[in-house]
Amino acid sequence: MPWKQGYTISDEISLADADVRWPDGKRCAVHIVVDLNLASGPDGITPGDLTSPAAVFAANDGLDGLLRALAGSGLKATFAVPALIAECYPERIREIVGRGHELAAHGLKGEDVSGLSRTEEAARIELASELLTAIAGERPAGWFSLPRQTDRFAGGSISANTIELLLEARYVYMGNGLADDLPHYWVTDVGQRRAILTLPYYYHFDDQFFCMFPAQGTGLENADMLLRNWRAEFDAQYRRGRFFTMTLHPQHSGWGHRLAGLEALLAELGRRPQLWNATGAECARHWQSAYPAASQLGLEASIWQDYPDSLS
Amino acid sequence: MPQSLKEELDALTAVAAHNGRRFRLLQRPAWPNAARIAVNLTVDFDAMLLRRLNNEPPMELAKGEFGGRVGIWRLIELFRTHGVKATIFTPGRICELYPRALAAAVREGHELADHMWEHRVPKEPAVARAHLSRTKAALQLISGRAPIGSRSRYPSALLREVGFLYNSHGARSHLPYLVCDDDGDPAILELPFHFAIDDAMFFSFAWYASANAGQRLFDPDRVFDLWWAAFEHQYREGGYLNICLHPFVSGRALRIAMLDRLIERMRGAPGVWFATCEEVARHCLAQNAPGLLTASAAAATAE
Repeated sequence: MPWKQGYTISDEISLADADVRWPDGKRCAVHIVVDLNLASGPDGITPGDLTSPAAVFAANDGLDGLLRALAGSGLKATFAVPALIAECYPERIREIVGRGHELAAHGLKGEDVSGLSRTEEAARIELASELLTAIAGERPAGWFSLPRQTDRFAGGSISANTIELLLEARYVYMGNGLADDLPHYWVTDVGQRRAILTLPYYYHFDDQFFCMFPAQGTGLENADMLLRNWRAEFDAQYRRGRFFTMTLHPQHSGWGHRLAGLEALLAELGRRPQLWNATGAECARHWQSAYPAASQLGLEASIWQDYPDSLS
Repeated sequence: MPQSLKEELDALTAVAAHNGRRFRLLQRPAWPNAARIAVNLTVDFDAMLLRRLNNEPPMELAKGEFGGRVGIWRLIELFRTHGVKATIFTPGRICELYPRALAAAVREGHELADHMWEHRVPKEPAVARAHLSRTKAALQLISGRAPIGSRSRYPSALLREVGFLYNSHGARSHLPYLVCDDDGDPAILELPFHFAIDDAMFFSFAWYASANAGQRLFDPDRVFDLWWAAFEHQYREGGYLNICLHPFVSGRALRIAMLDRLIERMRGAPGVWFATCEEVARHCLAQNAPGLLTASAAAATAE
């Protein structure tokens, strides 16, 4: 592409619909993400977050509801879990893994890392990885930096070092990126073609921004709008043969009318024969083997020119 | 009435009167081939530039990058499917980031127009002029011809000076109108764009750093209904509609599908003229201010 450091993270053009291939000749990939973060702010999970009514609901009824909806439709999901949550609820985490879902890391305590030093962030990644490994028996392949409801921006927050640190910590994939609606490569060193496989995320498919958002009591309930977004995106991506992803939280999608809508949608998805439902690691491994970065990334030298009166 | 209040009212009345001389609203245009409405599909190809200008965090830049990697290509494909031509308002810098998409748009017959150098109008006149000239040159390098329109807050006099015929920014009328200079003479044509017909107002979280309580989280069906109603209104009146699309917003698959239905439905109505902004501008100017066309052609020859 014309690469530009500080502006672009990947190459100039995404893979065309006609060139996308999924395992076993399937038509469209579906990746379901369940986010177990409870943090209400950038500092990560607080005592108040762990003892709120929503936290109790999330750990019990809400999670039960999501697991039942997934089992009922025969679909697998990736659970993005802060290490602290796994420490608090190890039995529930083992139950999730035992049901065939994938456990991925979502920070040490679901915090915003953008202000941390490189050393501090590296230490937190290592500690989170160790704690999750001890509980699940396997080192997580994926890392998520999903947004919190109160974040000013809904894309998730990382630091300037996060992606490189994930590569150093041997993560297979980054769970949430916004530059594509297919798996894509997030480049950290353009000269060496160093990149991490990144899975798509989009806040318009994330329940936390539609369920009493921005806050219980004062927010707006737009669960019907969310369901229409999911259906419209799924139909469009299925036609194109690409990738559909949705992000769920037990405290949001596990409740009442929302759960009823979700169950109906998941049942429809589960009945589609041409759908490839995979966890994050399965998606990443397929992509890395079918479209390896070495041959797939079309990176060309920058043609950017600097001017004194312009952004550099 | 106390003297001070009277002076204040006089001053405000003078402001309104002066402003009234700055714009000349036009009669309902007679569109070519007796069309009932002119529709400009316009694309603001910001990608991540505005996010970068606002110093937003990395994920916001990636959100914008979607527009360059994916969204712009889907819009080009959508326009091809329907055989319609659009105007791509392009920041000059985008020519250095997504030259292949812009070249493809030109091959398809779409118009490239100015959307500032890096999505801002510098306060210093000399810098503003440099930005505009640089964008003009960058677009011309790709399209082979000088752009003649802008979506920006550049002063009309400056736009006119570099040979531009139109701007597409304000919404002082449903119909195209003339912006006049201090002498009351027409300086440039305005092709009205309204924020309610702008995808970013409905689908872009943190647009212009909006607070969480005011986030833009609509589903496509609702926007389809709003925009169809806007189209029907102007179709009845015999008017004009400018639909503003951002590749990083409308390029998402669920919204391309919505736009596909919307354009299909608009095409089903007899007498819809889908045109580039340049075509609409030239048509309106020929009817209302032919002198501007002559002056722009002379400026182009002089360069």
